[in-house]
Amino acid sequence: MFASSTQRNFWMFKDESDVSNARLSANLKYIASKGKNMAFHQRESYFLSALEEKILMMSCEYQLRDFCRKFQPPMPRCVVGTALHYLKRFYVNNSVMDYPPKEILVTCVYLACKVEEFNVSMDQFVGNLKGDREKAAAIILSNELLLMQQLDYQLTAHNPFRPLEGLMIDMKTRFPNVNSPERLRPGIDEFLEQVFYTDAILIYSPSQIALAAIIHSASTSKENVDEYITQILFAEDQKRLSNLIEAVKKIRVMVRNVQVPQREMVKSLEKKLALCCNPDNIHRSHFYNEIVSTESNDESLERHIRSAAMKGSRLLKNS
Amino acid sequence: MDDQTCPKCKTTKYRNPAMVLMVNACGHALCESCVELLFAKGSGSCPECKIPLRRNNFRVQLFEDAGVDKEVDIRKRILKEFNKRQEDFPTLREYNDYLEQVETIIFNLVYDIDTTNTNKLIDNYKKENKDIIQRNKNRQSQEEMELEELLESEKIQQKEKAELYVNAELEEKKQKHKAREKLIDELMFSDADAKSIVASHVQATAAIAKDQSKLIASGPPAPAVVKSNKFSSGVQIGLRGSQSSFLPIPKQEDLPLYSYTATVFDYNGPTPPAIEMLGQLNYFANIRAASAAERAGGYTEALSCCRALQEAMGGLFYCPQSSHKTTVAMVAEEVDDMEIT
Repeated sequence: MFASSTQRNFWMFKDESDVSNARLSANLKYIASKGKNMAFHQRESYFLSALEEKILMMSCEYQLRDFCRKFQPPMPRCVVGTALHYLKRFYVNNSVMDYPPKEILVTCVYLACKVEEFNVSMDQFVGNLKGDREKAAAIILSNELLLMQQLDYQLTAHNPFRPLEGLMIDMKTRFPNVNSPERLRPGIDEFLEQVFYTDAILIYSPSQIALAAIIHSASTSKENVDEYITQILFAEDQKRLSNLIEAVKKIRVMVRNVQVPQREMVKSLEKKLALCCNPDNIHRSHFYNEIVSTESNDESLERHIRSAAMKGSRLLKNS
Repeated sequence: MDDQTCPKCKTTKYRNPAMVLMVNACGHALCESCVELLFAKGSGSCPECKIPLRRNNFRVQLFEDAGVDKEVDIRKRILKEFNKRQEDFPTLREYNDYLEQVETIIFNLVYDIDTTNTNKLIDNYKKENKDIIQRNKNRQSQEEMELEELLESEKIQQKEKAELYVNAELEEKKQKHKAREKLIDELMFSDADAKSIVASHVQATAAIAKDQSKLIASGPPAPAVVKSNKFSSGVQIGLRGSQSSFLPIPKQEDLPLYSYTATVFDYNGPTPPAIEMLGQLNYFANIRAASAAERAGGYTEALSCCRALQEAMGGLFYCPQSSHKTTVAMVAEEVDDMEIT
């Protein structure tokens, strides 16, 4: 249950500024360790700022969503939700420059498949990726332990989908005045999709998010579920009601403020990332372009050359 | 399988798997017949490396790889001389350096690297440390003797125990025999009822059996001759700190009995209806019914319904708070700062 889970006890934040502080400190730590010899403004232009990292993360999350949508066999929602949980948690503690997000992305999905008991063999999994499959398998397997370690081995993620189902059942049973809650489903699904691009899952409990989804969808289709909430759910505890209303309001605001990052901006940021990223943690930097190939041939060629140079420098370092 | 071919006669090993390889001081193998042949001629040199050999330098090969045998021999020989122990060195580092020196010497001798210098080193060492070597040799031989004594005493004890058991068994048999004879005698000569005689006999044998088992369970009686471990003047014989004293067995304390307390769930939300009430409250109308196969396995709709409801209600009262490690650390720092100022 959520109330006694590790999610509540170790991975929750107070509000959005809290989350961004954590990300900022990870960012600064990386910059401090890698940019010791640089002047201050040089650092700014060379490394990614926390805001830029956030934009990159968003585009990453969209890519994850697309990857899972095209996945064969069809992937259930909870796997996607868990994978996004892991991605967010990983990058709260680590900077985007430190570990390449696309490698971590695939590893998150793979781990989520295992944890949510959606049985996919490695061959099936890398069959959904473009490019060299063996390399992909090697990358995923080598990153898996790292990912688990950064998650503190706390792998159970509570998603809002089951609370949603519970609330629907409850509504149908105890509040038959509302006609066909099933009509609310499309709105709910859309809301839940959007909520995963925010930090709401790191701040609020999954049942609160599910309730926010129901309220949002109800208001857009001009239904009123307030009676259900006040009379049936919170019949015993009226004061907690205000707390819940506040939470729901904030979640809806967060979802409303979701902005899809623009493509050019993302591309330029990715270029910047390729320059300032940590070469020790990249296994084959030219590989992960092929997961979602949005770049032109010139850029991928440039990246090929760059990766070869990095590999060469790494070899020299090791010998 | 071992090196199947003797390097000299090559064929003989195939034909005779019982042939045994002998190894010499330079590490090369020769089968028994070849060894005899070699020394029958009178000259003794290894067919491979031409080192002059003596007949008694040939030992039966213990290890599959002749090289290992050679090393084992060299090691034994050297360690007779280099027998210092950790107590002889003031620091651990010096002891380790000494050990490394020994290993280097052995390595050099095994692989024939720089043998002349190595031998010189050995001789020098012998000269310098003559008395220490002697003392260690004596200590070793003493220890060996003491170990042997211990082993002996253990063996004797075991023998005595075995004897006791054998005796006890013999006694039992005799008693049974006597009892049976007694029964037959009574049946023949006494006037009482046959059944009652048999019954009393059965009781008697049962009682005897119980006594016997008690005797054996309590262990054999202590040996009549106790080995004294002290001289009459009070000085202890043999090794100090012999293994006769063990720690006492810890006693079982009487702890309070376990009593079951039901676990209490804190949902942090409105309480969901109990699983028993779900049917009455008509929840199942809104849930997919369990198929016959699922119900046979023990699944009922109540289970999934209850779980969904619990998850839905759980956490609704949750207030956002920081539980992540970075924020907790930061808060702790702030508290510290506040306390200091």
